[in-house]
Amino acid sequence: MLDIGYAKGIKPYQSSAWRITIIFSALVTVIIGTLLLGMYRQLINEQEYQLDLHLDAEMTRYQQMALTLDRRSFATQVKSADPKVALIVWRNSLDLVGSLSMIPKDMPMLPERREFPVFTGGPEKLHILTGGMVMTRYGPMLIATRVDQLGTLIDKFTNAAITALMLTVVLTLALGYLFSKAILRRLVQYNRLSKRIEQGQYSTRLPVSWRQDEFDMLAKQFNGVLDALEQNLAAVRGVTDNIAHDLRTPLSHLRIGLEQLPSKPKEELAESCAIITEELDHCLATFDAMLSLTRIEEGQQTLELQDVSLVSISQDLFEMAEAMAEFNGQSLTLTTGEEFQVSGDKYLLFQALFNLVDNAIKYSGEGAEIRISQNRNVISIQDNGPGIPESSREKVFERLVRLDPSRHHKGTGLGLSMVKAILSRHNAKIALSSAYPGLRVTITF
Amino acid sequence: MKILMVEDDATTIEYVVKGFVEQGHNIETATDGHQGLLLATSMKYDLIILDRMLPQLDGLKLLAALRATGSQTPVLILSALSHVDERVKGLRAGGDDYMTKPFAFSELLVRAEKLMQRGESQPTITDLNVGPLTIELLTRKVTLDGQEILLQPKEFQLLKYLMEHVNQVISRTLLFEAVWDYHFDPRTNVIDVHIAKLRRKFEELGHGELIETVRGAGYRLRQGH
Repeated sequence: MLDIGYAKGIKPYQSSAWRITIIFSALVTVIIGTLLLGMYRQLINEQEYQLDLHLDAEMTRYQQMALTLDRRSFATQVKSADPKVALIVWRNSLDLVGSLSMIPKDMPMLPERREFPVFTGGPEKLHILTGGMVMTRYGPMLIATRVDQLGTLIDKFTNAAITALMLTVVLTLALGYLFSKAILRRLVQYNRLSKRIEQGQYSTRLPVSWRQDEFDMLAKQFNGVLDALEQNLAAVRGVTDNIAHDLRTPLSHLRIGLEQLPSKPKEELAESCAIITEELDHCLATFDAMLSLTRIEEGQQTLELQDVSLVSISQDLFEMAEAMAEFNGQSLTLTTGEEFQVSGDKYLLFQALFNLVDNAIKYSGEGAEIRISQNRNVISIQDNGPGIPESSREKVFERLVRLDPSRHHKGTGLGLSMVKAILSRHNAKIALSSAYPGLRVTITF
Repeated sequence: MKILMVEDDATTIEYVVKGFVEQGHNIETATDGHQGLLLATSMKYDLIILDRMLPQLDGLKLLAALRATGSQTPVLILSALSHVDERVKGLRAGGDDYMTKPFAFSELLVRAEKLMQRGESQPTITDLNVGPLTIELLTRKVTLDGQEILLQPKEFQLLKYLMEHVNQVISRTLLFEAVWDYHFDPRTNVIDVHIAKLRRKFEELGHGELIETVRGAGYRLRQGH
């Protein structure tokens, strides 16, 4: 079981997602509550308005009836009035005619109205009515209508509203809880993976989903950092491996040489010691070159920047290499063109360029023609030797790759890696191409 | 000449002391930074050979303290910190030369003598003579057994350097530095090629033996046998 660290201790309700959920849910509740309240007010107003209209219509109807009908017919009409439409009470001399058995006191004249309770014998004993008095030709009458249905409606509405609100709160909270749990799950997963990385499994990567959300962005960024880190680690490991591999041979030579020393005849001692010293120097040079290469590649070495003239650096190259070419029976020529200045580390640049010329001299064979040419920001070094087959051209820049299997020429196998590292620190490009026959190395600043 | 060596490694001390004593120099040693600074400020030396990683007081701090007292004694830093950056740091702190370990005593000797001679007023030398070989520095004329030989500028500089250090083994690095102003280990035979050309010119006059190759070390110009 892997310890997943600090995220393990976080409960969903402690997470920031949960805090957001709470705020969000409160906000939703307030908004919905306000909306419902508005609707409620609207509903009440509308009902009141409808009541007024209804009572007003009834009032007009009975006033008209009183005008057109005789007293008896009017009484019949009042008696047969549908209580669902309106409850009418008319005082015909001493009797009360209509659907109610009394007229409450202090009833206002319509359109003013008042609510009053009525007791009945039915299962619903108490009814709430609203209404007012109307003056007709045959005397005052009460027109009222039931409002307890309205009350029920309002109750229903209120219940529905409260239920809706509760549901909203519960739902948002539940969803928020699940949501924060889901986010936490991703974070806990990230945490578990980074723990794994901490333990040395550098190939671990965070999952990136198709959603492209902020977590995926984070994961991508994190993976990018990991890629760079892994590459650096590989580089360091590479150096270590290289040192182990490439220094083992000369070191074992040294060991053999030292072991044999005591049994050497006295007159050979000096020579043997010198051979061992040379071998040792070679070891040290390889070692230094590897460290140096890594420092340049990883950008740890600060460049001593100055303006470097490509014309004069080419001339210096030629001057240093001329004797070497001559010694090998080769011809070395230099052509310089238009001047160009680059800002760079003069010594490193020279070292890189010299390495290329040195390679041309070493590998193009006796009698070869080697040409250094410069024009503006391009320096090329061309020979008519055997060249490098196209398939191997990328490989030569790798560390410790030497195309000459016999290792006839002494070298560290780091030269071209160094050249590439130096040039790339100077934002220069190097390209190998065929010179038909031979090799052309083109450096573009 | 009186030399102070501040170094904490006994093997290195033994190796260097033996070398300088054989050359007739007087050398004293200090094995930590405090002792080194005390000696350097209280006594007069012609040269201080200074390690960088020292117990108690770091070499560069020692150097800074020494320079703060106004001392102009030449300081040669001898350190295992080999990178260019470190070299620059050492020279900026007031070092006059910088050598990296491991090193060959012959090279240390050449560099040390060069620094020790710096303070002395040199008689203006116009001619150099080694056995049958003569060069006139002003006219750049080189004669061997009285016969003039023509040298390329770089060959001339190499020969001049070898003649200035006659009978001493000169490493390829020293020769490279003497002739070119680029500072790097060329890992090539550029010096060997120039020496070979020089030697061939001598051979034509029957003096191929003048420049001797010392395997694993460098070259030496012999005077007499």
